[in-house]
Order: sequence, then structure tokens, then C-alpha cells
Amino acid sequence: MRNIKNIARCLLALGIISISSCAKKIDEAFINPNAGVKKPIETLLPGIIGNMVGSSAAAGSAYGTANDGIYIGRYVQFWATNVTGNQYDQMGGATGALDILGSVWAMHYFGMGQNLNRIIEWGTEEKKWDYVGVAHAIKAWSWLTLTNVYGEVILTEAFNTSQLTFKYNDQADVYDTVRSVCRTALSFLNQTGDGVDAQNLAKGDAYFYNGDVNKWKKFVYSVMARSFNQLSNKTTYNADSVLFYCNLAINVNSDNAYARFANTGITGTSNYFGPFRGNVGALRQAQYPVNLLTGLNSRFPGVVDPRAPYLLRQNTNGTYRGIVPNKGASGLVAADRPENYWGQGFDTVTSPTSDAKARYIFRNAAYYPIITAAEIQFMKAEAYYRKGEKPQALTAYQAGIGIAFDMLTADFNANIPPAQAITPTSKAAYLGNPVIVPSAANLKLSHIMLQKYLALYGYGSIEVWNDMRRFHYTDQEGAEQVFTDFTPPAGTDLFINNNNKLVYRARPRYNSEYLYNIAELDRLGALALDYNTKEQWFTQK
Amino acid sequence: MRNLLCMLLLPLMLCVQQTASAQVQTVSGTVVSTRDGSVLEGATVQIKGSTTGTQTDSKGNFSINASKGATIVVSFLGFTGKEYKVGDKISGITIGLVPSDNSLEEVVVALDLKRKPRELGYSTQKVLGSEIQETQRENFINGLQGRVAGLTINPTGGTAGASSSIVLRGFNSLSLSNEPLFVVDGIIMDNSTVNETSGGGSGLGLASDRPNRNNDYTNRISDINPNDIESITVLKGPEATALYGSQASSGAMLITTKKAKSNKLAVQYDDAFRVQQLTRYPDVFEGYQNGENGANANVFRYYGEPYPAGTKLIDNKKYFFKTGFSQTHNIGADFGVKKSVFRVSGSYFNQEGVVPNNNFKRINLRISNTTKIGKYIEITPSLAYVRSENDKVLRSAGGYMLGLFAYPNTYDIRKYQDDAGNKIPVFASNPNLELDNPLFNVNANPSRDETDRYTASLGININPTDWLTITGRFGYDTYRTEGYTLYHPKSFYITQALNGEQDNYWRKYNGYNHTITATAKKDFGKWSTRLMVGTMWQDYNTQMFAIVGNNLKDVTHFDSSNTAPNTRRRLLQNNLGAWNEQVTRQMAGFGEVSVGYNNLVFLNYSHRFEAASTLPKVNRNYNYPGASLSVIITDIFPELKRGTTLNYWKLRTSAASTARLNSPYSTQSVFVDNFASGGGFSYGFVNNNPNLEPEKQQTFEVGTELKLFNNILNFDATYYNTLNKGQIVEGFRLSYATGFVLNTQNAGSTRNQGFEVSADANIFNNTDFGWNVRVNFNKMWNEVVQLPANVAEYYLGDTWLYGNARGGITLHGTTTSITSYGYLRNDAGKILINPLNGLPAIDAVFRVRGDRNPDYTIGTTNTFRYKNWRLSFLWDLKVGGDVFNANKMYLTGIGKSDLTIDRYTPRVVEGILNDGKQNTANPTVNTIAVIPAYLDAYYGANGMPEEAFIEKDVNWLRLRDVSFSYQFPTTFVKKIKGVKSLGAFLTANDLILITNYTGGDPSSNGNTAAGRGVGAWGFDYGSLPTPISINFGIRASF
Repeated sequence: MRNIKNIARCLLALGIISISSCAKKIDEAFINPNAGVKKPIETLLPGIIGNMVGSSAAAGSAYGTANDGIYIGRYVQFWATNVTGNQYDQMGGATGALDILGSVWAMHYFGMGQNLNRIIEWGTEEKKWDYVGVAHAIKAWSWLTLTNVYGEVILTEAFNTSQLTFKYNDQADVYDTVRSVCRTALSFLNQTGDGVDAQNLAKGDAYFYNGDVNKWKKFVYSVMARSFNQLSNKTTYNADSVLFYCNLAINVNSDNAYARFANTGITGTSNYFGPFRGNVGALRQAQYPVNLLTGLNSRFPGVVDPRAPYLLRQNTNGTYRGIVPNKGASGLVAADRPENYWGQGFDTVTSPTSDAKARYIFRNAAYYPIITAAEIQFMKAEAYYRKGEKPQALTAYQAGIGIAFDMLTADFNANIPPAQAITPTSKAAYLGNPVIVPSAANLKLSHIMLQKYLALYGYGSIEVWNDMRRFHYTDQEGAEQVFTDFTPPAGTDLFINNNNKLVYRARPRYNSEYLYNIAELDRLGALALDYNTKEQWFTQK
Repeated sequence: MRNLLCMLLLPLMLCVQQTASAQVQTVSGTVVSTRDGSVLEGATVQIKGSTTGTQTDSKGNFSINASKGATIVVSFLGFTGKEYKVGDKISGITIGLVPSDNSLEEVVVALDLKRKPRELGYSTQKVLGSEIQETQRENFINGLQGRVAGLTINPTGGTAGASSSIVLRGFNSLSLSNEPLFVVDGIIMDNSTVNETSGGGSGLGLASDRPNRNNDYTNRISDINPNDIESITVLKGPEATALYGSQASSGAMLITTKKAKSNKLAVQYDDAFRVQQLTRYPDVFEGYQNGENGANANVFRYYGEPYPAGTKLIDNKKYFFKTGFSQTHNIGADFGVKKSVFRVSGSYFNQEGVVPNNNFKRINLRISNTTKIGKYIEITPSLAYVRSENDKVLRSAGGYMLGLFAYPNTYDIRKYQDDAGNKIPVFASNPNLELDNPLFNVNANPSRDETDRYTASLGININPTDWLTITGRFGYDTYRTEGYTLYHPKSFYITQALNGEQDNYWRKYNGYNHTITATAKKDFGKWSTRLMVGTMWQDYNTQMFAIVGNNLKDVTHFDSSNTAPNTRRRLLQNNLGAWNEQVTRQMAGFGEVSVGYNNLVFLNYSHRFEAASTLPKVNRNYNYPGASLSVIITDIFPELKRGTTLNYWKLRTSAASTARLNSPYSTQSVFVDNFASGGGFSYGFVNNNPNLEPEKQQTFEVGTELKLFNNILNFDATYYNTLNKGQIVEGFRLSYATGFVLNTQNAGSTRNQGFEVSADANIFNNTDFGWNVRVNFNKMWNEVVQLPANVAEYYLGDTWLYGNARGGITLHGTTTSITSYGYLRNDAGKILINPLNGLPAIDAVFRVRGDRNPDYTIGTTNTFRYKNWRLSFLWDLKVGGDVFNANKMYLTGIGKSDLTIDRYTPRVVEGILNDGKQNTANPTVNTIAVIPAYLDAYYGANGMPEEAFIEKDVNWLRLRDVSFSYQFPTTFVKKIKGVKSLGAFLTANDLILITNYTGGDPSSNGNTAAGRGVGAWGFDYGSLPTPISINFGIRASF
């Protein structure tokens, strides 16, 4: 019996020792050994920049502006699909349980969301004000892009990780937020000392501005300018605000906000529109931009634009033709049907193995413009025009066209047959043509908006859509349609759900909102099948 | 049955008269088990035809007053009763009882403890190893279906090395594992299946990070050699959870291995040769040429013109499937010295499946020992090794089956590659754009796993006094699997630009666990008490290294150097040259107090305290109680036993709560690799939750056990009710406004109830002839009782494998529901028709449109014995439960299902036009006639949505296993030198399937056993229907 007692004592002592060592071993096993809960902020920025265009599969396939741009580009008739019956060619919105037109939503809330928040949080702790500033800059751009696509969005309750449902805010609040975030961004970008270091910033933004804080400031001013310019229909619109920020914004091509690609042979490092990622195989240039560039638009009659070989594709006849949305080959004979953007036949939808025949923004390594100097010039031109200062408007207009030409020759010259390249002569001839650059007195809003359309062709679908919506696609200045000759789909060419109305917004991302935020969607009317036609606040008078 | 009873009762009545006049004397003796000669305590000894009776004491002794010539009837639970006619010998009589097949003398319960069945306040069911071995199934799990009430096996399909998931008493957890714990001789063993989802490289999975659908990996418990199994005890309910804790919240499977019976040398050998043939295959209709809308075209759809008369059609599946062949050789030897006995066993299994390139090979070796040291100590060490090799083929969405469906029947699939080994497309100029020829698929997209597993265990039993027992079970389990999957550069599943893809991985598991218990027993008069305290430590570590890359150099090489360096992606730690790792540690202390009164009433209370590493510190320590009560009614009221109708009646009830753990690290939101230019990191999809609490599961069950008609019929019925509260829902979708896509929360509750009956009847049991029938009935029902109000549907992404149907659940629906798109209907429930084309309008919302849960299942085993012949067969009946026949939807879409035969018959789809008046008093009835042949969208997802292919109330009756064996007579065997016994057998698996299902086999799972929650069973898409197997072999002992 005594033995047993002794054994019991020993066991008890052993037990106590083992319990405490076991507790320690349990504690050690709690932390995830594979992935960190904290990473250097320098390593968070590249993914965010990649996300502005189109992220790779691992970080959410295709989140970013480029994927939604494919659809919005159809609304503004940059391009259309080569078959009939496509609802987006018909200005339809996303239907069913699909996430189409939800990529900007995913980009903003998931792709950037908490990652940007952590750069701000940890950057502040580390006093890396340049990073904090850049994070705010991207945030401001992202909020504005988000609201431009969706209208009312989740603002005040966003990024609360323990909430189940989220309230939407009015668009006006989002515009206020954009500007306040811009101001915050500038205040940080203006700071020096502490952890601010251009070389260190370049670790994060090597594929954007490569550490140049001054360019980031111009980016922020550009976002500011957009935010004021977009409210042209409001009584509060102030052209001087637009001009003020335009003057501080991106004004030369070397300051252009480009997302750049390392193009190392994997999805994430290549351009979303390039053949490697294979996303634009079904798109063919639409008739509208073709006509603008080939002298068939009644605003620019008879003038062949030297930019055509850059922006458009020829057909086997060696001419430029485009298709009409929802009309398939649009009656074009085979030899008149345009190549696809990768230089293959009209019917080919698959990617070639190389991008040797692809041009412009359709190459694997091409820059993808986010905001360009040309866009700023056209904003300026519009603001002067609205102020009634036509000579200044003309100067900006002319500058905008010139910058747009120069951007192509400087950054998008690849694979252009030398004989078709823009030359100083062809550029001068174009700018010297009074059909293109009229006298100040004859300058119309139409000139400005159409040249802006061409300058932003392909990459600027959201901003061009903003413009078209501001002019309700067919608004007129006097007796003339601002977007001259633009014909939105009508009748059976307009998607059935639209109820004969044109598209004004995208519905929020299906798998984010339509399953889990029903009450708010109902309040907004977003459950209606024609929610995509509900005009947004920013374009309303 | 009545006749049968009369036959049984008649001789008894005759006996009554016989015994009336004889002289009374005291007769004494011992009752032992013939199995091992051990004495049987508590056996009933009765004079036939009278109420006089007694029970054997703890040494098996009895003494009873009986007259010469009287018949003494000895009965004991779990043994076949025996009669002894009193002759001259009146003392020192030894009566040996033969254990009945469903032996219940002392069952092994949780923690490798042995308990007498009468004490147990819960149901246990035991399956003998010999039954499992008889089925000849290499994955012993598959031999259990129908043999245990409340047990469901969901195999991935009929391929060699396929995984099987196992569920006891239905599904409780929505996103965590519902698989039971496997315990071998008291040691917890791993039964995981490789999970292909790695969470952006942050977890364990493949670097390609994909859902668990297109490949399969064996579930690791199938490494166990079926021939080493002595028995399996299935703990389905609260008792498992009360003592094993959170790991066993879905029940426990307790495997007892064979031990040497004596120290005399005995050798057993058996073999089996098996042929397999695929006989079940979805109906494929072949009548029309490749084309669309009635016009011929070079597409993989068959809506072209009818085949011209005389067109020779090829049955390509004959060129594809082959006869599977496998062989098994098992050898076992018992030997020993004095008090140390050994058993060595080995097994070789080699299978070629019915699908080309699908092979499975396994070698098992095991040595176990039982040694008595001194008076008090017994140790049982064992060591096992297994190697398995599995050549695999792709399945489901990327599998050969779809290619076989879609390939033109005018084209010989054997022409799949040119002399240089390149894929030959049928139509396309770019081979990557054309569905893989099935033969190309299985030959050019190879996949393989190799596993080496070592298991060491040590059991120690110390009995220092007669009232104290100390046991220890220490186990170490480790394996390493290495594997790859290669996609050929020309495969349909890879874009041309990627130029092939190859996944490589290794996975290493190290698991250690021990359980130490001390049990003290003491009787106080009529009261018996027992106190057990114990501790358990579990430490499981899985490591994984995985890499995926493209741009293959050589399709005949399979190591990761085959891929181009710039294209390689790895698990996060692999980038640093280390491995990813998942560690779960858990410490537990527990105790159990049992009180019994007069061997009639037993009350148990247990309590378990746990600390688990997966939980945040504040929620890490938790505990839960369990209690059970067992009452032997027939012993309290012995008059009930008068006559032979009712021999034993027990009532029992138990209740327990337990916890279920979250996945490791689901408490921390982490950064994963970002592959954008410049690299770096970004948050993964998952908003993990630093405040998680363990899931709380509460169960109660009530049950009864009856033995009737002289113990001929045993009957066991149980009702259970489980409430699973505060479920840890992983992969829970919310608005992206959280900043994430998936979320982790304690959200939602489910209730799961069921009714189980098992009955066992020894209808005949003579020396020459025996007939035993066993029936297992199971009915379950379940409900999602709570979900956050904003969550209209919760689903696991893995289950979304074809079209728009998935394993989604909704509040107040069932946990086994199917959500899908369906027909749009008006308020009156009439199908709405699109006025533009006359086709149905589609309700593109995932709504509940099916429930996979069957109404009930019945497994019936019949065993006949006649002299040296034995015949045993198991019928498995399932009634009710829906199946999504995705194969048929696919076949219909391409014009090859029999639904499309009458495509040229004009018709008007019955319904109401969706023209704005559909909900008015005068809706427009559809009159738009369509000829589907010219409008083949009629057969597509926009004409026949997923709802149309959810087959309702699918029943089946299967002859799972039928085994016929013959034991050569000893007179014959004696002539062969050295041979002690010799037998031969013929076993057939899955021979008969009678079903109202229109596809190949309704028992199909679209996910592997790695899929969690309810998974994708009942989703039939591109999986191999179960082939028929015929085995024959011999058994010999030397």
C-alpha cells in the first residue's frame, strides 16, 4: 500500500511537470508557421499596383479595372464581340449568379482593402510617410473608380472584419471621401525625413513610379481633377477647381501613371490584355472608333488619323473596318473583317503563343495606363470651354492631341510597321488640319470629348464611360450630338432587361453582395433587373 | 416465423415432462469460453423447463440443484447457449460455450477499455475482422457499408486507390471534418486524405491550390491490412466524444488487431485473385452527327443530321476500359517463447484497375508481441510498415469519362497520338482547345503517389492489485507520401501558352499520442463502483512541400526539375527552402465514475478537460461532461423472463457534450504570395478569426436491447439527437466589405437526429446447418436550425463541380440539401416561358432543389452454413435521397442523352409566358412550338436547368458482397503434409445493383475524402461507376 502511495506521489509530481511543459508546447503550436500575420510594407505595394489592372489567380483572378474594362469598353463601343446576342454588347448588366462587372468591386474591397490599410497602419508606425502617402493616393483613386462604376457603395462601414452586413453610402459622400483622402495623401507625400526614402519606396512601386514621390503627388492631383471634372452636370461644378488641379497634375508623358509588367512568363507579371493572359480574344474593334480614325465620323470627316495603325487592326484587304455591337460580323465580307487585337484572323479567339503581332496595350509587357497627361489636357480643355475661355480651351485641346500622339510613339511603338509609324510630319499634318483643330471660335465640346475618347482608347474605358454618361450618350450641344454619330443600341439590340434604357452603372459584385447584403440592395433598388440603367448621382443635374 | 417458434418450443415442452420425476442433487462446474478457455462470469445456468437458475461467479463456477437426467441450459450474452445433460458426473463439469458471431462478451470501448455490454449506457456495434476480410476489399472501409447501423461510406468512385469518406450518424459540422476518429489498439491513427487546396500557399495542399475534385488520393486509414483486423467496434455517439474528446466528435472506429493466440508455431496463408469488369455505365444515345441546331459542324456536340444509313459506329468504351485484375497474398505466423507471443503478418496486394494506367499496389508488414512480465505487467508492442503505390488518372471535370462521352462515335479513340507522341485532335487546329481523347487523357496526364508508413505502438497493462489497473497506450505514426500530377502540354486543361503543367509534392506526417488511465474497482455489498482517471496527449504534425510549374521539358519525366524555373510556384515556406507545416497539439485529462447496483442498474458519469493548440489562448481550455445509464429490466423483473420469449431487456440512455476544433491557424489572417510584377505579399482570401471558440456539440441517445426467443433474436434500437451549436464555419462568405472573400466565424447550428435498429437472428444453429440474419436499419434527418440572417445560402466551393448546382444549405433546410438553378415559376408554381424563343425562363438563383439524405437505409447480411460450406451475402438497400446527375446534364447538352432522341418532334413547352402577365388572373399560356433539333438550346442549361437533372428519391438495392467458401474436410487435409486446414472461396463485390437512377451508379462523390462538411456525395459527374469484382482464392493454415 505504501508503494502505491509513493507511486501516486511520483505520478502527481510528474503530472504537474508534464502539464506545464505540455501547455508550453500547445502554445507554441498556435502560431501559423507557414504564413505571416505581418509583412514589410515594401512587399505589400507591388500586389496592390498589379491589382489596379488585373491581379493574378493567387490573389483573386482578374480583379482590377481591366476585366471590367472589357465590358465597359463595349458600352462605350471601343469594341464588341464577334458574335450576336451578347448582352454586354447590348448594354446589358450582369445577370444571374455571375461576378461579371464585379472586378473593380473585388479590387477595391479585397485586392486593395486591408492591404492598403496595413501599409497605412504599419507605415505610420515606421514613419515611412512616402508609403503612407502612396497608399492614400491609391486609395483615393480606388474609391473614385469604384463609385464611378457602381454609384452607391459601402463606405463608412467598409473594412470592419466582424460585421455581417454593410450599409451603403450616397455617392456624394464617396466624392467627399476621395478628396479628403487625396488631401491626406498629399500631406504625407509632402513629408520628408523620418523613414522617407526614394530608394526604399522604389522597392514597392518599381512597376509604377519607381520611388518618385513627386509623380505620386501629380497622380493625386490628377485624381482630384477627375473628381471635380466628373461633376460637370452639378450646380456646384467649378471649372477653376478642375483647372487648378489639372495644372498640378500629370502634364507630360514621362509622368504618366502606368502600371508596368515584369513579363516573366507567368500570369501575374503580364499585362491583362496581352495574349499570354488571353482575355481579349473575343473582342473586335467597333465601328465607332474606326470611323473616328478613318475620316468616316461626321465630326472629323475625311481625315485619316496617323494613330490608326497603333490603335486599330487592319483586315486582309489592308483597310480598317469595325463591327457594330450585336451585329456579329456586321455584314462585312470576310476580307473586310478586322483582325483581333493580337493580329490574328477575325474568327480566331484563342491566344497566339507570342505577342509579336500584337500592338499598343495588347502586348504581354505593354504599359497599362491608369491616368495619362493627355487625359488631363482634355479635362483642362473642357473646363476652359465651360468657363467660356475658348482660346485656352483650344490650346489644351491641341496639347492633348499632341501628347496622345507622343505617348504612342514613345511608349507604344512596338510591332508597328515602320511605314505606318507616326512621323513628325504626319502628326503636324493632323494637328494642322482645321477639321481636327478648328479655330477657337469653332471649337465644340464634341471635338474635346471625341479626341479624349481616342486618347483613352482601350485603357480608359471607365473614364470614357464617365464622359458618355455625363452627356447621357446622346446629349447635344446646340443641335449637335456631343459624341458625334455615337449610336447606342436600340430596340432588340438593347438588352431586354434594360427596359429600353441605356446603361448607367454596374451592379455590385454578385458573390459579394447579392447573397449577403440583400436588405441594403433592396433599399437601393439594386434587386431590380434594370438596376444597371439607374442613373448615378454624379451625372444627374 | 410462427412455425419456427413452434419447432423451437416443442422440444422444451417435452423436456418439462421428462424432468418431473428424477432425484435432486447438487451439480457443480465451470463455464468457459471455447475461444480461449477463459472463464465466464455471470453466465446463466438454468434447469430446462423450470425457473430454477443461478449465475456463475467471478471464476466461472456454478452449483445448482438438479436431478440426474435433467438438462442444464447454460447461456451467456454473446455466446451460443449450450445444453448439458446431467449424468453420473456431478462436479468439476466444464461447459464450453461457443462465442456467437456477434460476440459481445466484453467489448472494447473508448480508450481501449473493456466493459461488459450490460454496463454500457450507449450502443456499440462490432464488426469482426473475418467479415471484412471475406469481402476482399483492399480499402477495408468499403467493406463496412451495411454492416453497422448509422454508418455511411461514400467512396469517390470505382478507381483503384480511390478514397472513401466515412460518416457515422450523419453530418453535424458544416465546414469541418465529419469523419470519425480511428483508433488502433488504443492508439489514434491518421486517416487524412491529401487536400489539394493550400489557401494561396499558406496551408497544406498543392502549390496549384485547387479544389478537391479532379484527382484523388487514398484516405490513409486504408493503409491498414484488412487481414490484421480482429474486430472493429464502432462508437457512434456521445460515449466516444465523452472520453476521446473533440477528435472523436464524429464518433470513433476502434480497431483491434489480431494477436498471437499461443506460443505454438502456427502459420496461415491465403490469397485471392480478382477480376474486375465495368458493367454500369450511363446510357449514351448515338444517333446524330456532330453539329448544332440540326446542321452538321465540327464540334463536340451531336445536334447535326442523323447518321446516314449504314454508318458504322464504334463503341469506344470497349477500346477504353479493360478487365481489371488484382492479386492478394496474405501470410501470418504466430509463435512465441513462454509468456511472450508474437504474430508476424505480411500482405501483398497488386491491382490493375479497369481504367488504363490506374494501378494500386500495397505491401504490409506487421509484427506484434504480447509479453507478460512478472505477475502484474503485460506489454504489447507492435511495429507495422506499409508501402503503397498508386498510379492515378484524372477524374470528374478533368477526367477521361467526359472525353469518352463527348468523343465522336465515328472516330476510333485509339488514334490519339501520332508517331511522335503528339495529341491528334479531331477537329481543332490547336490541340489545347479540344477535349482530351480519353486514352490521351489517361496516358498523357499521369499522376502517382507513393507512401511509406511506419507505425509503432506500445501497450502496457499493469494490474498491481485486483482492484487497480493501470494502462498505457503509446503510439507513433509516421508516413511520407510523394506524388505528382502532370498535365501534358497539349492537354485541353492547360492553355497552349502554359505548355503543360506539373504539380509535385511530398507530405510527411508525424503523429504521437498516448493515453494513460488508472482504474480502481471496489464493490460495497450490492454496489459496485469504479473510478477511472486518465490523461491523453496528442501531437500531430504534417509537413508538406509542393511546387507547380509550367513549360515542361519532357513529358516522361516527373520530378519538379521538369518545369521551367520562372514558372514555378511553391507553398509559402517552400520559397525559403523549408516546408509548410501544420501542427495540432492537445492535452486532456479525464475521469469517469461508474456506480452499479446489483448488476442491474449502472450509472456512469465522465468529464473531460482539454486544451487545444488550434484555439486562441482565452478559449483554449474547455471541458465537457457525459453521463449514461443502463438498466437491465429483465433482471429487475425476472418474471419477464418466464418462458423463452424475452430473455434480456435493457434500457439505456446517455448524454454528452463535446467540442469540435477549428482547423489549425484559422485564427490568424495571413499574407500569401502575390505574383504581380515585383512579387511580395497580399492578404489571402480568408478573414480568420482571432476570437474563435470551439464548436459545441450536445448529444443524447436513448436505446434498448432485447434478446428474444431463447437468445435467437437480438434486437437493438437507438434514437439519438445531436445539436451542434456555434459552428465554426470556415469559408463563410460575406460582403467583400470585410476586406476579404471568405470568413471564419462561430455561426450557425444544426440538429441531427436518427433512429437506428440492428437485429441479429440465429435462425438455425445446428452442427451441420446454420442460418444467421443480421439487419441494420437507419433513418436520419437533419436541419440547419440557425444561420446568420443575411446568409441566404452557405456552401463549400469544392462542391460546385458542374453547372450551377452545389452542396448549398439554407436556414431551416437540411444540411444535405442541393442548391441549384432551376425553372422560373409564377406565383401559382407554373413554369414560365421566355416569349422570345418558347424555352423555359431560368431562375438563376441557387435555391434548395434537392436533398441527398435518404429516407432510410437497410443493410441485411445472411450467412448460411452447411457442413463445410458457407455462403454469406449482404444486401444494401437505400430508399430516397436525391442525386444530381451531372453526367446526364452533360450528355444532354451535347446531344447524347436519351432525352434528346425525339428531338425532331415539335412540342410546346408547358407553361406560362413570362410576358408581364404571368401573375395576373389571365396569364398567357405558352403556344410557341419548338423543334429542339433546330433549337438545341432546348437541351442546354438555358432550356433544362440543373433542377431538371436532380433525380428525386433515388433508391437502390445492391448486392454488396457475396462470399461462398468451402473448408476442406480434415480427413482430406491430413493427407497434405504440414497443412492443418485448407479452404477455398469465391467472393463477388457489387454484383447486383437495382436502382431507379438513370445514370451509371448513384453512389458517387464529386469530392475526395479530403472535402469537408457534407461534401459532394450525390453529385455524379465524371466518376467511375463501381465495377463488378469476382475474387477467388484459398486459405490455409500450417
